[in-house]
Amino acid sequence: MTTRPLETLRALAFGHAPQVLQGRGWALVALAVVPAALGCLGQSLARQVDPRLALHLFHQALAPMILPIMALAAAPGGIREDLEQRTLPLVLVRPVPVWILPLAKGLVWFAWGAVWLAVGALGLLAVGDAPGAAALQALALVLAFWAELAFMNLLGLLFQRGTLWGAVTLFGWESLLRVLPANLQRFTFLHQIESIAGSRGGTVSGYEVLAQAQVSSPAWMAAMALVLFGALCWALCGWKLQATPAGLAGREAEG
Amino acid sequence: MIALERASLRYGDILGLSPLSFELPGGGGITGLLGPNGAGKSSLIQLLTGLLPPSGGSVRVFGAAPYRNPAVLARLGLVPEGDRYPGAFRGDRWLRMMGQLSGLEGRALDQALARTLEVTGMADRAAQPFQSMSKGMRQRLRLAQALLHAPELLVLDEPFNGLDPEGRLQLMDLLRQLAAGGTRVIVSSHILAEVAQLTDRILLLFRGRLLAEGSVPEIRELLDRHPVELRVTAEAPAVVARWAVDQPELAALRLEPGGVVLAVRSPRAFLPRLQAAVLSGELGIRALEPLDLNLDAVFAFLTKDNQ
Repeated sequence: MTTRPLETLRALAFGHAPQVLQGRGWALVALAVVPAALGCLGQSLARQVDPRLALHLFHQALAPMILPIMALAAAPGGIREDLEQRTLPLVLVRPVPVWILPLAKGLVWFAWGAVWLAVGALGLLAVGDAPGAAALQALALVLAFWAELAFMNLLGLLFQRGTLWGAVTLFGWESLLRVLPANLQRFTFLHQIESIAGSRGGTVSGYEVLAQAQVSSPAWMAAMALVLFGALCWALCGWKLQATPAGLAGREAEG
Repeated sequence: MIALERASLRYGDILGLSPLSFELPGGGGITGLLGPNGAGKSSLIQLLTGLLPPSGGSVRVFGAAPYRNPAVLARLGLVPEGDRYPGAFRGDRWLRMMGQLSGLEGRALDQALARTLEVTGMADRAAQPFQSMSKGMRQRLRLAQALLHAPELLVLDEPFNGLDPEGRLQLMDLLRQLAAGGTRVIVSSHILAEVAQLTDRILLLFRGRLLAEGSVPEIRELLDRHPVELRVTAEAPAVVARWAVDQPELAALRLEPGGVVLAVRSPRAFLPRLQAAVLSGELGIRALEPLDLNLDAVFAFLTKDNQ
């Protein structure tokens, strides 16, 4: 009796679903809704509506800060958790397709994070965002979360210090967006997010040192890029786990 | 059921398991993997349960290589060593997920859950988070997950660690029942008394090598090649000592207050003569106590020979 990929996916995803209601899950909720909540609070204190506030919150907080932090926080709850808790052998000795395990465990966190990111983006309506723009911003965040979470999971499987490399990528490389040459800009998550959302997080002028002309991609192409990049990362996670013998960890393996 | 042909395991440059070969037949029975820490027990278990592929040679379980082989893995269960558990789970939900991963669903899954929780004594206590359970309860749940799909081969790595005496006896009874029901059980331990009580066949491992293989009596036979110490309490120890030095099996002798300790080769030949001397009134013996005629002695002798 062997377990098929979809059965494995279902069993692991539903089995791990209650985990999102614990500390890590509520931290993700807080991160996602804090910008909109703070925006509402600020507006109510100032007693005036600033039409630029929603865009600022999206481009200065949600996309470049909150989203990467959420991906970094959610990724260790995936297959990496089983490696660190040394419970992976209990799953590996079952008749399951090993390659599906990273996606199955990551899917729960993606779903939870995506819902709350969408809530956070749509919450910008309360601070004056246009409905059409908020919907695109929510879509951009959800697709970027899919890609970034998959990327973080992959780094976690490839490197001992995967979270560190993830942080370097999401906060170091991404921050170079405004000064990267045109083609390299397309290799950032922020470029894809801005292309889908239809607005930019900043402008550059010709007299600024290292400033580069910003390029745009069609929204559908940016969306496809994020979806496919995420799928590729999940596939590579599966390949890595399938190809790597993972036995009992540490001292126990010596006995 | 299990056939290893010069199977070895390396961890990088470190040899975890030297090439070893043995076969275990199908059907029920309990086999003990015996050896101190670092002997290679867990390495061998990882090969048998398909967690790691052999670095050399071949491992066949149910006629096929077990590594990443669902057809083999569906027929075996593993209780790994250590107090490992998924922190955020409730016991019963985790078991349900494990059952689903083993291909069980619907009514069959419910029945399997009820059965295994019953036999492991966790029927009323499984609905707690792992973190709030005692070590013994978590061990029972780990056993339950291995039994869910009624495996033909059950492998337990140091299963008695963390169990209280009553729990140990219950686990031993359960393993005996499973073995009597046709399950091949493999138990690793570094505590010799546990294995001697439980197993009908022993694989003795030391420093990654298979030192000996056989039943407990067969392992005891190995004693005959080595001196066995017998403490004889006597009214006149010197008389016993004088009698003993004439016996060809005597290897060494040590006088103690009220007695004498004899180191004897081939006790099977020596003991009947001692018995005859006592019955004839030649020796006045109050007590005879074997000091090391147990599995610990075999292990100590064999490992000493191989150091």
